[in-house]
Amino acid sequence: MSENLGKIFNLSLIYATFRASTPIIYAALCAAITQQANILNIGTEGIMLVGAFTAVAVSYFTGSWMLGILAAMLGGALIAMIMAVSHIKYNSEICAIGMGINLLAIALTKFMLQVFFHTSGSFSNPSIVPIPKLHMTFLENVPVLNSLFNDWRFTEWFVIIFIILLQFIFYKTVWGLRLRAVGQFPMAAETAGIQANAVKYQAMLISGLIGGLAGAHLSLGYSTQFVENMTNSRGFMGVAAMYFGGANPVLTAMGCLLFGFSDSVGARLQAYGIPAQFILMMPYIVTIVVLAISMAVKIQATKKKQSSLITN
Amino acid sequence: MSEFVVEMKNIVKSFGEVHAVKDGQFNLIKGEIHSLIGENGAGKSTMMKLLYGMYPIDSGEIIVKGQSMGKLDPKLAIQHGIGMVHQEFMLVNDLTVLENVILGFEPKKGLQIDFDKARKEIQHFIDQYNMEIQLDKKVSQISVGEAQRVEIIKTLMRGADIIILDEPTAVLTPQETKKLFEILNNLKKEQKSLVFISHKLNEVMEISDRISVMRQGLHMGIVSKEETSPLDLTKKMIGREVFLHIDKTYEKAGKKILDVQDVWIPSQKESSKIRGLSLHVNEGEIVGIAGIDGNGQSELIEAITGLRPVERGHIFLDGKEITNLSPKKVREVGLAHIPEDRNTRGLNRTMSIEENLVAVEVDKAPFSRGMVMNTAAMDRHSEEMVKRFDIRPTDYKLPTSSLSGGNAQKVVVAREVSMNKKLLVAAQPTRGVDIGAIESIQKTLEEAKKNGAGVLLVSTELEEITSLSDRIIVIHEGTITGELSAGEANENNLGLLMMGGTVDHQVKEDMTKQQPKVDVEDHQAKEGVTEHQLQEGGNGDE
Amino acid sequence: MNKSLNSFLKILFTFFLAILVGAIFILAIGENPIDAYLALLKGALGTKLGRGNVIAGFTPLLLTATAFAVAAKAGAFNVGVEGEVILGGITAAYIGINWGFLSVPLLYLACFTGAIVVAMLWGLIPAILKAYFNVSEVCVTILMNTVALYIGSYLVSGPMSAGVATPQSKPVLVTIPKIMKPSSANMGVFIAILVVLAVIWMTYKTKWGYKIRTVGTNPAHADYAGINSKKVFIGAMLLSAALGGVAGCIEVLGVHGYYLDGFARDLGTNGMLAALIVKSNMLFTPFVAFFLAVLKAGAMAMQQATSVPKSIVDTISAVFIIIATMDFVISLRQRRKLEKELKTEIASNQKEKGGDK
Repeated sequence: MSENLGKIFNLSLIYATFRASTPIIYAALCAAITQQANILNIGTEGIMLVGAFTAVAVSYFTGSWMLGILAAMLGGALIAMIMAVSHIKYNSEICAIGMGINLLAIALTKFMLQVFFHTSGSFSNPSIVPIPKLHMTFLENVPVLNSLFNDWRFTEWFVIIFIILLQFIFYKTVWGLRLRAVGQFPMAAETAGIQANAVKYQAMLISGLIGGLAGAHLSLGYSTQFVENMTNSRGFMGVAAMYFGGANPVLTAMGCLLFGFSDSVGARLQAYGIPAQFILMMPYIVTIVVLAISMAVKIQATKKKQSSLITN
Repeated sequence: MSEFVVEMKNIVKSFGEVHAVKDGQFNLIKGEIHSLIGENGAGKSTMMKLLYGMYPIDSGEIIVKGQSMGKLDPKLAIQHGIGMVHQEFMLVNDLTVLENVILGFEPKKGLQIDFDKARKEIQHFIDQYNMEIQLDKKVSQISVGEAQRVEIIKTLMRGADIIILDEPTAVLTPQETKKLFEILNNLKKEQKSLVFISHKLNEVMEISDRISVMRQGLHMGIVSKEETSPLDLTKKMIGREVFLHIDKTYEKAGKKILDVQDVWIPSQKESSKIRGLSLHVNEGEIVGIAGIDGNGQSELIEAITGLRPVERGHIFLDGKEITNLSPKKVREVGLAHIPEDRNTRGLNRTMSIEENLVAVEVDKAPFSRGMVMNTAAMDRHSEEMVKRFDIRPTDYKLPTSSLSGGNAQKVVVAREVSMNKKLLVAAQPTRGVDIGAIESIQKTLEEAKKNGAGVLLVSTELEEITSLSDRIIVIHEGTITGELSAGEANENNLGLLMMGGTVDHQVKEDMTKQQPKVDVEDHQAKEGVTEHQLQEGGNGDE
Repeated sequence: MNKSLNSFLKILFTFFLAILVGAIFILAIGENPIDAYLALLKGALGTKLGRGNVIAGFTPLLLTATAFAVAAKAGAFNVGVEGEVILGGITAAYIGINWGFLSVPLLYLACFTGAIVVAMLWGLIPAILKAYFNVSEVCVTILMNTVALYIGSYLVSGPMSAGVATPQSKPVLVTIPKIMKPSSANMGVFIAILVVLAVIWMTYKTKWGYKIRTVGTNPAHADYAGINSKKVFIGAMLLSAALGGVAGCIEVLGVHGYYLDGFARDLGTNGMLAALIVKSNMLFTPFVAFFLAVLKAGAMAMQQATSVPKSIVDTISAVFIIIATMDFVISLRQRRKLEKELKTEIASNQKEKGGDK
């Protein structure tokens, strides 16, 4: 028993967890930035999928993973702007337009797959240049650190920087402050001379760039291929993790690790007869429970504040 | 250049069909505290929001420091040194005080916000005006008084020398108010020009140099404090038209129909919380509740009608306890309710006149048989209602969103009154409706009373209260400050009670003392009060 | 009347825009859009198999679209229909396999009842969380769809597995007879139509429907008028879930004859799509569902006849929905801006007065 546990919970699990989490972390950050502006980005899934396809296509045709990432980010931004314009300018209900974007992304990528690569289902080819791994020779002889940190993909290192960067932007910069103000109380921002809608557009644009990057990592880093609907709810998981972490980048990333952790543990447990499905559904259930509890606590607090029996 | 730092001339502003400001005039002298007073909806807040550029004006002219302003927006207003402390604080709850203060005008250090520099600058103002502010707390954790000081600091940080305060004391305790006034006086010493919007006459008399009065979107004059008195101001605010008394019959007030016993009711706002209030309404009488908006009237009504929990105390309707029953059950015991907000509560604007007319009784015969709605019965009923209450247009299949304010309100009144319930609660029944509709709605209330219903009327329109009510209860910050009979009430004594009643201590004390005794028979004592009041009034305007 | 004519024209306009966008895509890959669309129509409606496929596709779509719409009528955005289809399906399969002791008619009844009950219990969770704890039903239902998927997947790869390579259950003892073979269209379409007609009738003609519509458009008014908005909201979510359950049951008993892992993929999503296109107008929803079924059924034929990929059909649907969600009539916008101004004014006047919502 303990021997088995050792096999499941060993050092490589740490990297496996992180590896599985990375695409979700990018997706969650994509959702977090718009959430700070009070826009629930249900379209994360779609933005990501478009990014994934664009990255593979551009990498294949140009032979450059960097151009692939860049194009993916632009593609993501384009999709996000469709969403932004219809939500902010034309009053589309955010969930409806988000779902529309997701469906468009699935359909469009399928369509493009057939048009450009004359195939359906999936596309992989040696000409697709993946995001390179970062090999550090000096780590080769360090036992623990080598297995933990060596040969990470470029974008896996970057996500850590990116979490910190977003944390910094949200809480330390002028733009972040304005973004949060617009999200929580747009009128307060307007009375301070800030154009709330402009900030919202900016947030959506950046969200699109991040979502595109998320997709690029998925198709050029996490794997080296494009598969129809390959995001497979990772965008939604990102949105859930964002809820979990209250759109705070660091806490949100923690939430993503929960998904990644159960993903990797599930994969291992399957070998020991525990149905993977149970492990896989845990993070979803945990998220729902956490959401419910946090809302219940909030309601109680409001009730107490409004009570006539207590003097504030 | 004129002596005024701000001049607003012939201002007109409408929101759709609501004429918020019809003829606004205002000016501000450097280094003065200028109060802007008027009843709710008189247009004072709108005037100042126009000055702050929150809405464009329809016509008129705004001159700031000698420069005529074309298109104003908040950013531009701020650039011209105008700051506004809104009635509803423009503070983001989850941000810290420090973050809130610098929002929109953040000092930078490289990529970062220079919080140290900001802190230093703010500290400077805190020391100068002797304000207590905790910069690192979140706004949700500080008191209302402190939040207000934060708002003032915000305007100062943005370099304002013209500061508008929209009903700043409405949310403050007397102690906090005192502190605020110290700050305002300090600001005045520093040659800042202040606009103080208020209802509270005693405060206005204490703090102002000059006072502007508005009524129903119109400018009613500017006076200096020395030249005026609270009573004079009250009259200007409320108007001195002769009351159109509807023939009142008050001989057959019957048994208690509504009995509210020592209720405690929660509220978002401290001054609207109800802590231990009792009142009753008898069959065949109209009891009016007078008071300035936001003093707990809405909370009281919601508690009676089952829309808000009661935390302590009891409410009886027709002898049955209805405390914390659902609205449906309270209605079944015998309640009809004309809510204060017809657009959200009173009507479902996406639905037809017909559907709205049956909203309350839709699952009872004849409007539904079993689970199926009976369209024929609904049509018949609607036809009758449209005729009886003169609802226009008469096509009851039209959505209520197409109705004017008056006709929309008639739909609500028709629905509630036609049920002939024992208790009719009417909150602001004529707010925002045209004269014709006002008359017909008021007549309907009077009829309901004649038919034996008890009517609880809440209104901020004093004229409505005095002309309809048999007894008048005045409410201030969630407590009853006085009860008068129809005969003795006038705009003066009501006005004083509504504003906390501290203008004439004598009167208030008399009133509180007499409160238990005041009832229908007790005319002697009341007349004493009224006379006393009128004498006071004589000094002012008459 | 004027209003519904207006919205009908708007849908028509949106539809042509979507077709136009689709045509542009087809032109872009060097094909003739008219040929492509004709091939699509011919494929869907020109042959018996095509028509059968339309019916087979239409059946679950009609139910899931109505399910989404009825929840939307009460103000809910129920993405969870797909999960409800899955759990309804697995329940029907379980009963259909194991309750052989019942007579055949009773077994049919048991399958449907079981599917409905389980789907409703599932739908109860997000409904309660939203009504009493204000937790976003969108997020919860999306998450729960995945959980439902795993539950179904676990059951047919474990306890209920048929023991074949694909994760699927053993065959059920009763099936819904097929019509129009060799397509998988079955008598279930009549059940679906009857159920949906009943729901539409309920929504517009009964007091429950009235209450649902009131709560969906103005919950504050509903509470004031004595209609418990929370209970009605939960009720509508349950009804929505029940429809999902019926769809799952029909798919299992009618189309497959057993529970096949992943059979419900996109059934809920496409239903939601149909409903969103017409802003959950329940009278129009069936037509959009039918239209989508035609598109899907004809797509394959189009791909074979021309070289336009069948995914163009999904692209058109997605463009359709995106345009449909926008309010893009200029004059309307102008007016709304005014109304918004007025509303903020009213709101700021009244915010202080509270209200617990």
